[in-house]
Amino acid sequence: MMNMLAVTGWGWTEMIWCTVISVCLVFAVLVLLVFVMKLFGVIFTAQPKRKMAAVESKPVSDAQLHEEEIAAITAALKLYKSALHDRESEVLTIMSAKRAYSPWNSKIHGLTQLPDRK
Amino acid sequence: MLNLLQSNFALESLEKFFSSMGFTAFFSEMGWGNLVMILIAFFLLYLAIKKEYEPMLMMTIAFGMLLTNLPGAGLFHEELFAGGHVHWDVFTSHDGPIAPGLLDYLYLGVKLGIYPCLIFVGVGAMTDFGPLIANPKSFLLGAAAQIGIFATFLAAYALGFTPEQAGSIGIIGGADGPTAIFLTAKLAPELLGPIAVAAYSYMALVPVIQPPIMRALTTKKERQIKMSTLRQVSKKERILFPIVIASIISLLLPDAAPLIGCLMLGNLMKESGVVERLSKTVQNELMNIVVIFLGLTVGATATANTFLSPSTIKIMVMGVVAFGVASACGVLFAKLMNCFLKEGNKINPLIGSAGVSAVPMAARVSQKVGQEENPSNFLLMHAMGPNVAGVVGSAVAAGLLLSFLG
Repeated sequence: MMNMLAVTGWGWTEMIWCTVISVCLVFAVLVLLVFVMKLFGVIFTAQPKRKMAAVESKPVSDAQLHEEEIAAITAALKLYKSALHDRESEVLTIMSAKRAYSPWNSKIHGLTQLPDRK
Repeated sequence: MLNLLQSNFALESLEKFFSSMGFTAFFSEMGWGNLVMILIAFFLLYLAIKKEYEPMLMMTIAFGMLLTNLPGAGLFHEELFAGGHVHWDVFTSHDGPIAPGLLDYLYLGVKLGIYPCLIFVGVGAMTDFGPLIANPKSFLLGAAAQIGIFATFLAAYALGFTPEQAGSIGIIGGADGPTAIFLTAKLAPELLGPIAVAAYSYMALVPVIQPPIMRALTTKKERQIKMSTLRQVSKKERILFPIVIASIISLLLPDAAPLIGCLMLGNLMKESGVVERLSKTVQNELMNIVVIFLGLTVGATATANTFLSPSTIKIMVMGVVAFGVASACGVLFAKLMNCFLKEGNKINPLIGSAGVSAVPMAARVSQKVGQEENPSNFLLMHAMGPNVAGVVGSAVAAGLLLSFLG
Protein backbone atom coordinates (compact mmCIF):
# COMPACT_ATOMS: atom_id res chain seq x y z
CA MET A 1 0.00 0.00 0.00
CA MET A 2 2.76 2.36 0.98
CA ASN A 3 4.79 4.13 -1.68
CA MET A 4 1.93 3.54 -4.09
CA LEU A 5 1.74 7.16 -5.09
CA ALA A 6 5.15 8.35 -3.99
CA VAL A 7 6.49 11.57 -5.44
CA THR A 8 9.46 10.20 -7.31
CA GLY A 9 12.84 10.97 -5.87
CA TRP A 10 11.74 12.87 -2.77
CA GLY A 11 14.08 12.65 0.19
CA TRP A 12 14.57 14.61 3.40
CA THR A 13 16.00 17.64 1.56
CA GLU A 14 12.90 17.99 -0.61
CA MET A 15 10.60 17.37 2.35
CA ILE A 16 12.25 20.05 4.47
CA TRP A 17 12.28 22.55 1.61
CA CYS A 18 8.64 21.79 0.86
CA THR A 19 7.76 22.38 4.54
CA VAL A 20 9.70 25.64 4.81
CA ILE A 21 8.30 27.01 1.56
CA SER A 22 4.75 25.96 2.48
CA VAL A 23 4.88 27.56 5.94
CA CYS A 24 6.31 30.76 4.44
CA LEU A 25 3.66 30.81 1.72
CA VAL A 26 0.80 30.23 4.18
CA PHE A 27 2.06 33.18 6.22
CA ALA A 28 2.66 35.29 3.11
CA VAL A 29 -0.88 34.69 1.80
CA LEU A 30 -2.49 35.38 5.16
CA VAL A 31 -0.31 38.46 5.83
CA LEU A 32 -1.41 39.77 2.44
CA LEU A 33 -5.01 39.22 3.55
CA VAL A 34 -4.28 41.11 6.80
CA PHE A 35 -3.20 44.13 4.75
CA VAL A 36 -6.19 43.83 2.42
CA MET A 37 -8.54 43.70 5.39
CA LYS A 38 -6.72 46.61 7.09
CA LEU A 39 -7.29 48.59 3.90
CA PHE A 40 -10.94 47.59 4.06
CA GLY A 41 -11.09 48.86 7.62
CA VAL A 42 -9.47 52.18 6.73
CA ILE A 43 -11.87 52.74 3.81
CA PHE A 44 -15.02 51.66 5.57
CA THR A 45 -14.36 53.31 8.92
CA ALA A 46 -13.36 56.55 7.21
CA GLN A 47 -16.67 56.75 5.32
CA PRO A 48 -18.97 56.80 8.36
CA LYS A 49 -16.69 59.38 10.01
CA ARG A 50 -17.03 61.62 6.96
CA LYS A 51 -20.79 61.18 7.02
CA MET A 52 -20.89 61.92 10.73
CA ALA A 53 -18.81 65.05 10.19
CA ALA A 54 -21.17 66.16 7.43
CA VAL A 55 -24.19 65.66 9.69
CA GLU A 56 -22.53 67.45 12.59
CA SER A 57 -21.60 70.44 10.43
CA LYS A 58 -25.26 71.05 9.53
CA PRO A 59 -27.10 73.53 11.82
CA VAL A 60 -29.40 71.76 14.26
CA SER A 61 -33.01 72.81 13.72
CA ASP A 62 -35.41 73.38 16.59
CA ALA A 63 -37.59 70.55 15.30
CA GLN A 64 -34.85 67.95 16.09
CA LEU A 65 -34.98 66.13 19.38
CA HIS A 66 -32.30 66.42 22.05
CA GLU A 67 -30.63 63.38 23.54
CA GLU A 68 -32.43 63.82 26.86
CA GLU A 69 -35.79 63.88 25.08
CA ILE A 70 -34.94 60.74 23.13
CA ALA A 71 -33.86 59.02 26.35
CA ALA A 72 -37.10 60.04 28.09
CA ILE A 73 -39.25 58.76 25.19
CA THR A 74 -37.28 55.50 25.06
CA ALA A 75 -37.63 54.98 28.82
CA ALA A 76 -41.37 55.67 28.63
CA LEU A 77 -41.79 53.21 25.76
CA LYS A 78 -39.76 50.60 27.64
CA LEU A 79 -41.91 51.03 30.76
CA TYR A 80 -45.09 50.86 28.71
CA LYS A 81 -43.97 47.71 26.90
CA SER A 82 -42.79 45.96 30.06
CA ALA A 83 -46.07 46.84 31.83
CA LEU A 84 -48.09 45.20 29.09
CA HIS A 85 -47.47 41.68 30.40
CA ASP A 86 -47.57 42.38 34.12
CA ARG A 87 -50.99 40.79 34.48
CA GLU A 88 -52.19 37.78 32.66
CA SER A 89 -55.62 37.99 31.10
CA GLU A 90 -56.86 35.18 33.37
CA VAL A 91 -59.04 33.91 30.59
CA LEU A 92 -58.30 30.32 29.71
CA THR A 93 -59.46 28.88 26.46
CA ILE A 94 -59.54 25.16 26.04
CA MET A 95 -59.15 24.27 22.43
CA SER A 96 -60.85 21.11 21.35
CA ALA A 97 -58.44 18.81 19.58
CA LYS A 98 -60.18 17.20 16.66
CA ARG A 99 -58.90 13.86 15.54
CA ALA A 100 -60.08 11.98 12.54
CA TYR A 101 -61.68 8.67 13.49
CA SER A 102 -59.54 5.67 12.73
CA PRO A 103 -60.43 2.09 13.57
CA TRP A 104 -56.70 1.36 14.06
CA ASN A 105 -56.55 3.09 17.42
CA SER A 106 -60.18 2.72 18.43
CA LYS A 107 -60.64 1.34 21.92
CA ILE A 108 -64.15 0.20 21.08
CA HIS A 109 -62.76 -2.29 18.62
CA GLY A 110 -59.65 -3.07 20.63
CA LEU A 111 -61.18 -3.88 24.01
CA THR A 112 -63.57 -6.61 24.84
CA GLN A 113 -66.85 -5.05 25.84
CA LEU A 114 -68.05 -6.01 29.28
CA PRO A 115 -71.50 -7.52 29.64
CA ASP A 116 -74.16 -5.04 30.61
CA ARG A 117 -75.36 -6.05 34.10
CA LYS A 118 -78.70 -4.46 34.80
CA MET B 1 -39.84 -40.63 -3.34
CA LEU B 2 -36.60 -42.51 -3.60
CA ASN B 3 -35.57 -40.41 -6.53
CA LEU B 4 -36.32 -37.32 -4.53
CA LEU B 5 -34.00 -38.44 -1.72
CA GLN B 6 -31.31 -39.66 -4.05
CA SER B 7 -31.04 -36.37 -5.85
CA ASN B 8 -28.69 -34.04 -4.01
CA PHE B 9 -30.67 -31.05 -5.08
CA ALA B 10 -31.80 -30.13 -1.58
CA LEU B 11 -28.33 -30.56 -0.08
CA GLU B 12 -26.69 -28.65 -2.87
CA SER B 13 -29.18 -25.83 -2.55
CA LEU B 14 -28.65 -25.62 1.18
CA GLU B 15 -24.89 -25.75 0.78
CA LYS B 16 -25.06 -23.00 -1.82
CA PHE B 17 -27.26 -20.93 0.45
CA PHE B 18 -24.96 -21.37 3.47
CA SER B 19 -21.84 -20.60 1.45
CA SER B 20 -23.42 -17.39 0.15
CA MET B 21 -24.29 -16.25 3.67
CA GLY B 22 -22.24 -13.45 5.13
CA PHE B 23 -21.79 -15.39 8.36
CA THR B 24 -19.85 -18.11 6.53
CA ALA B 25 -17.46 -15.53 5.11
CA PHE B 26 -16.39 -14.57 8.64
CA PHE B 27 -14.63 -17.95 8.83
CA SER B 28 -12.90 -17.59 5.49
CA GLU B 29 -9.56 -15.90 4.85
CA MET B 30 -9.49 -12.32 6.27
CA GLY B 31 -13.05 -12.90 7.48
CA TRP B 32 -11.93 -12.18 11.04
CA GLY B 33 -10.83 -8.75 9.78
CA ASN B 34 -14.38 -7.94 8.74
CA LEU B 35 -15.60 -9.03 12.14
CA VAL B 36 -13.10 -6.75 13.88
CA MET B 37 -14.11 -3.88 11.61
CA ILE B 38 -17.77 -4.44 12.44
CA LEU B 39 -16.90 -4.28 16.13
CA ILE B 40 -14.99 -1.02 15.53
CA ALA B 41 -18.06 0.30 13.70
CA PHE B 42 -20.20 -0.61 16.73
CA PHE B 43 -17.76 1.25 19.00
CA LEU B 44 -17.88 4.34 16.78
CA LEU B 45 -21.68 4.16 16.73
CA TYR B 46 -21.57 4.05 20.54
CA LEU B 47 -19.33 7.16 20.56
CA ALA B 48 -21.66 8.95 18.16
CA ILE B 49 -24.94 8.05 19.88
CA LYS B 50 -24.04 7.80 23.55
CA LYS B 51 -21.13 10.25 23.80
CA GLU B 52 -22.30 12.52 20.95
CA TYR B 53 -18.81 12.76 19.40
CA GLU B 54 -19.50 14.69 16.18
CA PRO B 55 -22.60 12.51 15.72
CA MET B 56 -23.60 13.95 12.34
CA LEU B 57 -20.55 12.50 10.67
CA MET B 58 -19.40 9.88 13.13
CA MET B 59 -22.68 8.00 12.91
CA THR B 60 -22.73 7.96 9.12
CA ILE B 61 -19.02 7.06 8.92
CA ALA B 62 -19.53 4.21 11.39
CA PHE B 63 -22.55 2.93 9.49
CA GLY B 64 -20.67 3.09 6.19
CA MET B 65 -17.90 1.13 7.89
CA LEU B 66 -20.44 -1.45 9.03
CA LEU B 67 -22.02 -1.80 5.58
CA THR B 68 -18.74 -2.13 3.72
CA ASN B 69 -17.51 -4.87 6.05
CA LEU B 70 -20.60 -7.05 5.79
CA PRO B 71 -19.26 -9.92 3.65
CA GLY B 72 -21.18 -10.52 0.48
CA ALA B 73 -23.16 -7.28 0.62
CA GLY B 74 -21.06 -5.91 -2.25
CA LEU B 75 -21.87 -2.28 -1.53
CA PHE B 76 -18.32 -1.03 -1.99
CA HIS B 77 -15.40 -2.36 -4.04
CA GLU B 78 -11.90 -1.05 -3.44
CA GLU B 79 -10.82 -2.51 -6.78
CA LEU B 80 -12.80 0.15 -8.64
CA PHE B 81 -10.59 2.84 -7.15
CA ALA B 82 -7.31 0.90 -6.99
CA GLY B 83 -4.13 2.87 -7.60
CA GLY B 84 -5.84 6.15 -6.75
CA HIS B 85 -7.79 6.22 -10.03
CA VAL B 86 -11.44 5.64 -10.87
CA HIS B 87 -11.66 2.60 -13.13
CA TRP B 88 -14.41 3.95 -15.37
CA ASP B 89 -14.20 0.96 -17.71
CA VAL B 90 -15.36 -1.36 -14.90
CA PHE B 91 -18.07 1.10 -13.89
CA THR B 92 -19.54 1.24 -17.35
CA SER B 93 -19.20 -2.41 -18.35
CA HIS B 94 -22.40 -4.31 -17.61
CA ASP B 95 -20.95 -7.80 -17.79
CA GLY B 96 -17.65 -7.18 -16.02
CA PRO B 97 -16.29 -9.14 -13.05
CA ILE B 98 -17.45 -6.51 -10.56
CA ALA B 99 -20.98 -5.17 -10.28
CA PRO B 100 -20.61 -1.70 -8.70
CA GLY B 101 -22.59 -1.25 -5.50
CA LEU B 102 -24.51 1.72 -4.17
CA LEU B 103 -21.57 3.06 -2.16
CA ASP B 104 -19.27 2.76 -5.20
CA TYR B 105 -21.46 5.23 -7.05
CA LEU B 106 -21.80 7.55 -4.06
CA TYR B 107 -18.04 7.44 -3.43
CA LEU B 108 -17.46 9.14 -6.79
CA GLY B 109 -18.56 12.35 -5.06
CA VAL B 110 -15.63 12.03 -2.65
CA LYS B 111 -13.17 10.83 -5.26
CA LEU B 112 -14.00 13.70 -7.60
CA GLY B 113 -13.85 16.23 -4.73
CA ILE B 114 -17.52 17.18 -4.95
CA TYR B 115 -18.83 16.56 -1.42
CA PRO B 116 -16.18 18.47 0.57
CA CYS B 117 -16.73 21.51 -1.64
CA LEU B 118 -20.52 21.34 -1.29
CA ILE B 119 -20.10 21.10 2.48
CA PHE B 120 -17.90 24.18 2.34
CA VAL B 121 -20.74 26.10 0.63
CA GLY B 122 -22.90 25.27 3.67
CA VAL B 123 -20.09 26.06 6.12
CA GLY B 124 -19.60 29.43 4.42
CA ALA B 125 -23.31 30.20 4.71
CA MET B 126 -23.20 29.40 8.42
CA THR B 127 -20.01 31.32 9.21
CA ASP B 128 -19.84 34.87 10.45
CA PHE B 129 -16.60 36.42 9.23
CA GLY B 130 -17.41 39.67 11.09
CA PRO B 131 -14.87 39.12 13.93
CA LEU B 132 -12.15 38.40 11.37
CA ILE B 133 -12.99 41.50 9.32
CA ALA B 134 -13.03 43.61 12.50
CA ASN B 135 -9.67 42.24 13.66
CA PRO B 136 -7.57 41.20 10.62
CA LYS B 137 -4.62 40.31 12.89
CA SER B 138 -6.55 37.09 13.53
CA PHE B 139 -5.35 35.87 10.15
CA LEU B 140 -1.85 35.55 11.63
CA LEU B 141 -3.11 33.28 14.40
CA GLY B 142 -4.89 31.21 11.78
CA ALA B 143 -1.62 30.95 9.88
CA ALA B 144 0.40 30.03 13.00
CA ALA B 145 -1.88 27.12 13.79
CA GLN B 146 -1.15 25.65 10.36
CA ILE B 147 2.44 25.00 11.46
CA GLY B 148 0.99 21.91 13.13
CA ILE B 149 0.09 20.55 9.69
CA PHE B 150 3.63 20.88 8.39
CA ALA B 151 5.30 19.63 11.58
CA THR B 152 3.14 16.50 11.35
CA PHE B 153 3.91 16.25 7.64
CA LEU B 154 7.60 15.83 8.53
CA ALA B 155 6.88 13.55 11.49
CA ALA B 156 4.70 11.25 9.37
CA TYR B 157 7.42 11.06 6.73
CA ALA B 158 9.91 10.11 9.44
CA LEU B 159 7.56 7.27 10.41
CA GLY B 160 7.79 5.80 6.93
CA PHE B 161 4.80 7.28 5.11
CA THR B 162 5.19 8.56 1.56
CA PRO B 163 5.18 12.37 1.09
CA GLU B 164 1.57 12.20 -0.22
CA GLN B 165 0.43 10.15 2.75
CA ALA B 166 2.37 12.40 5.11
CA GLY B 167 0.64 15.47 3.65
CA SER B 168 -2.77 13.84 4.10
CA ILE B 169 -1.95 12.92 7.71
CA GLY B 170 -0.60 16.39 8.43
CA ILE B 171 -3.82 18.05 7.30
CA ILE B 172 -5.59 16.43 10.29
CA GLY B 173 -3.91 19.25 12.25
CA GLY B 174 -6.05 21.70 10.30
CA ALA B 175 -9.01 20.31 12.28
CA ASP B 176 -11.14 20.71 9.21
CA GLY B 177 -12.94 17.54 8.13
CA PRO B 178 -13.94 18.47 4.57
CA THR B 179 -10.45 19.82 3.82
CA ALA B 180 -8.83 16.65 5.18
CA ILE B 181 -11.14 14.47 3.06
CA PHE B 182 -10.64 16.66 -0.03
CA LEU B 183 -6.85 16.44 0.20
CA THR B 184 -6.68 12.77 1.18
CA ALA B 185 -9.02 11.71 -1.63
CA LYS B 186 -6.57 13.33 -4.05
CA LEU B 187 -3.22 12.41 -2.48
CA ALA B 188 -3.65 9.19 -0.52
CA PRO B 189 -7.12 7.70 -1.06
CA GLU B 190 -6.01 4.43 0.54
CA LEU B 191 -5.82 6.26 3.90
CA LEU B 192 -9.18 8.03 3.62
CA GLY B 193 -10.96 5.87 6.20
CA PRO B 194 -8.42 6.15 9.04
CA ILE B 195 -7.74 9.84 8.35
CA ALA B 196 -11.44 10.75 8.37
CA VAL B 197 -12.03 8.82 11.58
CA ALA B 198 -8.96 10.44 13.20
CA ALA B 199 -9.93 13.95 12.03
CA TYR B 200 -13.51 13.76 13.27
CA SER B 201 -12.61 11.95 16.51
CA TYR B 202 -10.05 14.56 17.47
CA MET B 203 -12.32 17.41 16.42
CA ALA B 204 -14.83 16.06 18.91
CA LEU B 205 -12.04 15.84 21.49
CA VAL B 206 -10.95 19.48 21.07
CA PRO B 207 -12.35 20.38 24.55
CA VAL B 208 -10.18 17.60 26.02
CA ILE B 209 -6.98 18.06 23.99
CA GLN B 210 -6.66 21.84 23.96
CA PRO B 211 -7.16 23.13 27.55
CA PRO B 212 -4.08 21.43 29.09
CA ILE B 213 -1.89 22.77 26.26
CA MET B 214 -3.39 26.26 26.62
CA ARG B 215 -2.83 26.30 30.40
CA ALA B 216 0.70 24.91 30.13
CA LEU B 217 1.83 27.58 27.68
CA THR B 218 0.28 30.65 29.34
CA THR B 219 0.58 32.40 32.68
CA LYS B 220 -2.42 33.24 34.84
CA LYS B 221 -1.89 36.93 34.06
CA GLU B 222 -1.91 36.26 30.32
CA ARG B 223 -5.10 34.24 30.56
CA GLN B 224 -6.78 37.16 32.31
CA ILE B 225 -6.08 39.69 29.55
CA LYS B 226 -9.25 41.48 28.53
CA MET B 227 -9.48 42.45 24.91
CA SER B 228 -11.05 45.67 23.60
CA THR B 229 -14.46 45.47 21.97
CA LEU B 230 -14.47 44.73 18.24
CA ARG B 231 -15.61 47.46 15.88
CA GLN B 232 -18.88 47.27 14.01
CA VAL B 233 -18.57 45.74 10.56
CA SER B 234 -20.72 47.27 7.83
CA LYS B 235 -22.82 45.25 5.42
CA LYS B 236 -20.71 46.45 2.48
CA GLU B 237 -17.58 44.99 4.10
CA ARG B 238 -19.34 41.71 4.76
CA ILE B 239 -20.44 41.47 1.13
CA LEU B 240 -17.08 42.48 -0.33
CA PHE B 241 -15.09 40.16 1.95
CA PRO B 242 -16.02 36.82 0.29
CA ILE B 243 -15.62 38.26 -3.21
CA VAL B 244 -12.19 39.74 -2.50
CA ILE B 245 -10.86 36.74 -0.55
CA ALA B 246 -12.06 34.21 -3.14
CA SER B 247 -10.48 36.24 -5.94
CA ILE B 248 -7.12 36.81 -4.20
CA ILE B 249 -6.62 33.26 -2.92
CA SER B 250 -7.80 31.63 -6.14
CA LEU B 251 -5.40 33.76 -8.15
CA LEU B 252 -2.51 33.07 -5.78
CA LEU B 253 -3.26 29.37 -5.23
CA PRO B 254 -5.45 27.86 -7.95
CA ASP B 255 -5.38 24.49 -6.13
CA ALA B 256 -7.18 26.03 -3.16
CA ALA B 257 -9.84 27.59 -5.41
CA PRO B 258 -12.48 24.82 -5.10
CA LEU B 259 -12.51 24.96 -1.30
CA ILE B 260 -12.12 28.71 -0.83
CA GLY B 261 -14.44 29.47 -3.75
CA CYS B 262 -17.22 27.32 -2.31
CA LEU B 263 -16.69 28.64 1.24
CA MET B 264 -16.94 32.22 0.06
CA LEU B 265 -19.89 31.52 -2.24
CA GLY B 266 -21.86 30.25 0.74
CA ASN B 267 -20.85 33.27 2.78
CA LEU B 268 -21.86 35.67 0.02
CA MET B 269 -25.28 34.00 -0.15
CA LYS B 270 -25.71 34.67 3.55
CA GLU B 271 -24.32 38.20 3.69
CA SER B 272 -25.92 39.55 0.53
CA GLY B 273 -29.37 38.87 2.00
CA VAL B 274 -30.95 38.66 -1.45
CA VAL B 275 -30.95 34.88 -1.83
CA GLU B 276 -32.49 33.88 1.46
CA ARG B 277 -33.89 30.65 0.05
CA LEU B 278 -30.54 29.54 -1.39
CA SER B 279 -28.77 30.42 1.84
CA LYS B 280 -31.21 28.38 3.90
CA THR B 281 -30.99 25.48 1.47
CA VAL B 282 -27.20 25.25 1.55
CA GLN B 283 -27.18 25.56 5.35
CA ASN B 284 -29.76 22.86 5.88
CA GLU B 285 -31.00 20.56 3.13
CA LEU B 286 -27.92 20.50 0.90
CA MET B 287 -25.53 20.27 3.84
CA ASN B 288 -27.48 17.44 5.45
CA ILE B 289 -27.78 15.43 2.24
CA VAL B 290 -24.08 15.79 1.47
CA VAL B 291 -23.13 14.89 5.06
CA ILE B 292 -25.01 11.60 4.67
CA PHE B 293 -23.29 10.76 1.38
CA LEU B 294 -19.87 11.88 2.60
CA GLY B 295 -20.02 10.04 5.90
CA LEU B 296 -21.35 6.81 4.43
CA THR B 297 -18.81 6.65 1.63
CA VAL B 298 -15.82 7.72 3.70
CA GLY B 299 -16.77 5.05 6.22
CA ALA B 300 -17.08 2.57 3.37
CA THR B 301 -13.42 3.03 2.49
CA ALA B 302 -12.47 1.68 5.93
CA THR B 303 -12.27 -1.93 4.87
CA ALA B 304 -10.38 -4.53 6.88
CA ASN B 305 -7.54 -4.53 4.32
CA THR B 306 -6.81 -0.83 4.69
CA PHE B 307 -7.89 -0.13 8.26
CA LEU B 308 -6.40 -3.06 10.13
CA SER B 309 -2.79 -2.16 9.63
CA PRO B 310 -0.06 -0.59 11.78
CA SER B 311 -0.37 2.59 9.71
CA THR B 312 -3.82 3.24 11.23
CA ILE B 313 -2.35 3.31 14.73
CA LYS B 314 0.38 5.63 13.48
CA ILE B 315 -2.23 7.90 11.91
CA MET B 316 -4.18 8.04 15.16
CA VAL B 317 -1.02 9.01 17.08
CA MET B 318 0.01 11.52 14.42
CA GLY B 319 -3.50 13.03 14.55
CA VAL B 320 -3.10 13.92 18.23
CA VAL B 321 0.38 15.29 17.54
CA ALA B 322 -1.01 17.42 14.70
CA PHE B 323 -3.81 18.81 16.89
CA GLY B 324 -1.53 19.46 19.83
CA VAL B 325 1.21 21.16 17.81
CA ALA B 326 -1.33 23.29 15.91
CA SER B 327 -2.95 24.46 19.16
CA ALA B 328 0.41 25.14 20.79
CA CYS B 329 1.68 27.11 17.77
CA GLY B 330 -1.45 29.30 17.85
CA VAL B 331 -1.00 30.10 21.56
CA LEU B 332 2.74 30.73 21.23
CA PHE B 333 2.30 32.98 18.22
CA ALA B 334 -0.30 35.02 20.11
CA LYS B 335 2.28 35.47 22.88
CA LEU B 336 4.85 36.53 20.29
CA MET B 337 2.42 39.06 18.83
CA ASN B 338 1.91 40.54 22.30
CA CYS B 339 5.62 41.44 22.41
CA PHE B 340 4.98 43.92 19.60
CA LEU B 341 1.58 45.22 20.67
CA LYS B 342 1.00 48.25 22.90
CA GLU B 343 -0.49 47.88 26.38
CA GLY B 344 -4.27 47.94 26.01
CA ASN B 345 -4.10 46.40 22.54
CA LYS B 346 -2.69 43.08 23.75
CA ILE B 347 -4.45 39.90 22.79
CA ASN B 348 -5.34 37.06 25.11
CA PRO B 349 -3.09 34.13 24.02
CA LEU B 350 -5.96 31.73 24.67
CA ILE B 351 -7.58 32.80 21.41
CA GLY B 352 -4.50 31.54 19.54
CA SER B 353 -5.52 27.93 19.97
CA ALA B 354 -8.75 28.69 18.09
CA GLY B 355 -6.55 29.07 15.00
CA VAL B 356 -7.11 25.39 14.34
CA SER B 357 -10.41 25.37 12.46
CA ALA B 358 -12.91 23.18 14.40
CA VAL B 359 -15.53 25.95 14.18
CA PRO B 360 -16.95 26.91 16.67
CA MET B 361 -15.73 24.28 19.14
CA ALA B 362 -12.18 25.69 19.41
CA ALA B 363 -13.50 29.23 19.99
CA ARG B 364 -15.78 27.92 22.73
CA VAL B 365 -12.82 26.26 24.41
CA SER B 366 -10.95 29.60 24.42
CA GLN B 367 -14.00 31.27 25.98
CA LYS B 368 -14.35 28.55 28.62
CA VAL B 369 -10.68 28.50 29.65
CA GLY B 370 -10.64 32.32 29.70
CA GLN B 371 -13.69 32.48 31.95
CA GLU B 372 -12.15 30.03 34.40
CA GLU B 373 -9.53 32.69 35.17
CA ASN B 374 -11.76 35.71 34.87
CA PRO B 375 -15.54 35.14 34.77
CA SER B 376 -16.15 38.63 33.39
CA ASN B 377 -13.91 37.99 30.37
CA PHE B 378 -15.77 37.22 27.14
CA LEU B 379 -13.37 35.87 24.55
CA LEU B 380 -15.83 34.07 22.28
CA MET B 381 -16.15 36.73 19.58
CA HIS B 382 -12.41 37.47 19.70
CA ALA B 383 -11.67 33.76 19.31
CA MET B 384 -14.05 33.45 16.37
CA GLY B 385 -11.62 35.61 14.34
CA PRO B 386 -8.70 33.13 14.46
CA ASN B 387 -11.19 30.28 14.28
CA VAL B 388 -12.56 31.27 10.87
CA ALA B 389 -9.07 32.38 9.80
CA GLY B 390 -8.06 28.79 10.53
CA VAL B 391 -10.63 27.56 7.99
CA VAL B 392 -9.09 29.83 5.36
CA GLY B 393 -5.57 28.88 6.51
CA SER B 394 -6.15 25.14 6.35
CA ALA B 395 -7.68 25.48 2.87
CA VAL B 396 -4.58 27.43 1.80
CA ALA B 397 -2.31 24.77 3.36
CA ALA B 398 -4.27 22.04 1.56
CA GLY B 399 -3.92 23.94 -1.72
CA LEU B 400 -0.17 24.23 -1.20
CA LEU B 401 0.25 20.53 -0.38
CA LEU B 402 -1.83 19.67 -3.42
CA SER B 403 0.25 21.89 -5.67
CA PHE B 404 3.52 20.37 -4.37
CA LEU B 405 2.46 16.73 -4.09
CA GLY B 406 -0.55 16.39 -6.42
